[in-house]
Amino acid sequence: MQLDRDTIKAAIRSKVIELAKALNIDAAALGDADIIPAAGYLDSSAILELIVWYEQAYDFPLRQEDINIDNLGSIDAMTDFLLARKTG
Amino acid sequence: MPSPLYVPRVNNNDDSVRVVELRVKEGEFVKRGQILGAVETDKAVLDVPAERDGYVLKILGRSGETASVGSVLLWLGEIAGEQMAEQTPAALVVDTAGGTERPTAKAREMLRELDLAAAAIPVAGERLTVADIEAWLVTQRKPARAPGSDAPTASERTPSVPGEYRELSGEERGMFSTVLWHRDRAAPGYLEIEYDPAPWNDYAARYAEQNKLMLSPLLPLMAFRLVELAKASPPINATVVNERRYQYHQINLGFTVQAGQTLYLAVVNAAQELTAARFIDALGEVQRHAMAHKLRPSESSGATLAFSSMARWNVSRHIPILPPYTSLIVSHAAPNASGHAVLGASYDHRVLSGFDAAQILRALAQPPA
Repeated sequence: MQLDRDTIKAAIRSKVIELAKALNIDAAALGDADIIPAAGYLDSSAILELIVWYEQAYDFPLRQEDINIDNLGSIDAMTDFLLARKTG
Repeated sequence: MPSPLYVPRVNNNDDSVRVVELRVKEGEFVKRGQILGAVETDKAVLDVPAERDGYVLKILGRSGETASVGSVLLWLGEIAGEQMAEQTPAALVVDTAGGTERPTAKAREMLRELDLAAAAIPVAGERLTVADIEAWLVTQRKPARAPGSDAPTASERTPSVPGEYRELSGEERGMFSTVLWHRDRAAPGYLEIEYDPAPWNDYAARYAEQNKLMLSPLLPLMAFRLVELAKASPPINATVVNERRYQYHQINLGFTVQAGQTLYLAVVNAAQELTAARFIDALGEVQRHAMAHKLRPSESSGATLAFSSMARWNVSRHIPILPPYTSLIVSHAAPNASGHAVLGASYDHRVLSGFDAAQILRALAQPPA
């Protein structure tokens, strides 16, 4: 996958929508800055699936301490965290 | 599934025998225990019985010829014309050098069912026995099956409706072993209580907020509470092997993880040594490994207690199968329309009474003070 901000954001959004759909929830209205756990579209297992997908899609293994709201709480945060680690 | 019948050892000093006779032909159906032939040394003659029902697929031994002990005498299969494995299963390679570790027939059957290598298992006496395998399984904490119980495949006939055989995947085989242990070894009981999930939800929400957690800690905290209860009451954390109680010295908490089509029991080892925060991290890590289908062996076996939730699928009640060598698996489910939820316990009645299981559930229904 390309490390382009818009492309990353679109890919994360697409994955969130896909995971929510499996729970019969429409997550199309999720904003880039919305806090994903608080938005209610995904339960904990689905968020965990999102994180595992994120690690694999971007070849980006996370440490347990990386997994927090500041780093991964929103589409914006996930994008910034990835770009900072990969290009910083 | 085709299985080989090996040339047996007649005595400890002879690594080869002469095939005296073979009483069957390829394509013939034989019954378990039926004498298929005989082998001899200059000291004794030994009948060779069939270890299972099945068709003679291929005869490799020849009457009058010398055969090495442990080599394949013939192949048996469930269906006439079944294809044999290209290689001898590692589990069934018999050590022909020493001779004293040759498995008994029942041990050999158990090795085949569990796909184990005889060479890896310490032998207490002159031959490898079912007791040796069971003792080793406890140290490895792998599932076993009841000796003498017929696995369904050994006696079932192919259905008359057209179909085809497919080998079980590793995960399916694991589930198969688990279900067989539950059926053949445990004395499973199940009970449940209704409880108000609100205090737990509030407790988990406060914990998440205080610790800025990304994921709800509700289920990890409930699983950790189970660990604490077992720590306070060690008899919960035990099993029975050969009619003796086996008290575990550590608590390995198994937690079910659905990863796509695969259900894993991800294991947090030595959970009794962890704080709640460390336990949540450790569980999160094994859950991620499970979801990526990358569980390490130590993270996918050896559970001594277990916890399972189907709340996310809105299942309001489920009765889980006991993982091998556990006394208890707690089942968590979704609240019903009235707001109450059910906590269930599948338990091994050889280890725990219904009263014990109910006490655990009642304590688990409340978050820590």
